[in-house]
Amino acid sequence: MFDIQYGDDGNIVCIGRLDASQCEKGQAFMDDIAKSSTLDFANLDYISSAGLGILLKTQKRLAESGAALRIINVNKHIHDVFHYSGFHAIFDIEAK
Amino acid sequence: MERAFARSNDSLTAIYEFAEEILSKNAVGDAACYSVHLALEELFVNMVKYNPDVDSDIDVGVDIIEDKVTVTLTEYGVPEFDVTAPRNVDINAPLAERTPGGLGVYLIQNLADSLEYEYGDGRSRVIFTKESGV
Repeated sequence: MFDIQYGDDGNIVCIGRLDASQCEKGQAFMDDIAKSSTLDFANLDYISSAGLGILLKTQKRLAESGAALRIINVNKHIHDVFHYSGFHAIFDIEAK
Repeated sequence: MERAFARSNDSLTAIYEFAEEILSKNAVGDAACYSVHLALEELFVNMVKYNPDVDSDIDVGVDIIEDKVTVTLTEYGVPEFDVTAPRNVDINAPLAERTPGGLGVYLIQNLADSLEYEYGDGRSRVIFTKESGV
């Protein structure tokens, strides 16, 4: 199960598991982001390379207009995946 | 324990449930569980992606012996695809030069305690192991 929606604070709330079977849903939402945004991962349990691909593609698109994604409340396991992927150098990431 | 799954990304949820039943029964630690789920997804999705014309199911095994979780994925009637071969992924490249391709296998190579590949007569098998952290 994966869900993505705007929270009351304007952050983008991601919930559940962002895997290869949920990419289409995640990508469709991210394609509509046109300005710098914060992704709240407090309730995201799992991400795989399919999810990383969505984040990377969006970050590259936003960078063309000087915007960027920030990711907050990242759990330890996802943090490790970001570390192994070198995402700390290309995203502003805040651990849970 | 081994079970066959249809060659489709739609099988992922059933694969997680199959693995989770074994992992929780054996009180495997959170970090190892995450790595096992990631290995199952990345390796399974890779098999689906690179052999789109093959119909046969993929056998998925999850076994726990002493302090080690072993994940085995086996497919039949496919060409050789060695997932242990080094991947050309530059994780230090600037954003403009980054591409997501190859990241899945690269991650598994880094998270595994051991990763082995066997191939013969069209049978392709990947064996991933991780300390269970019990």
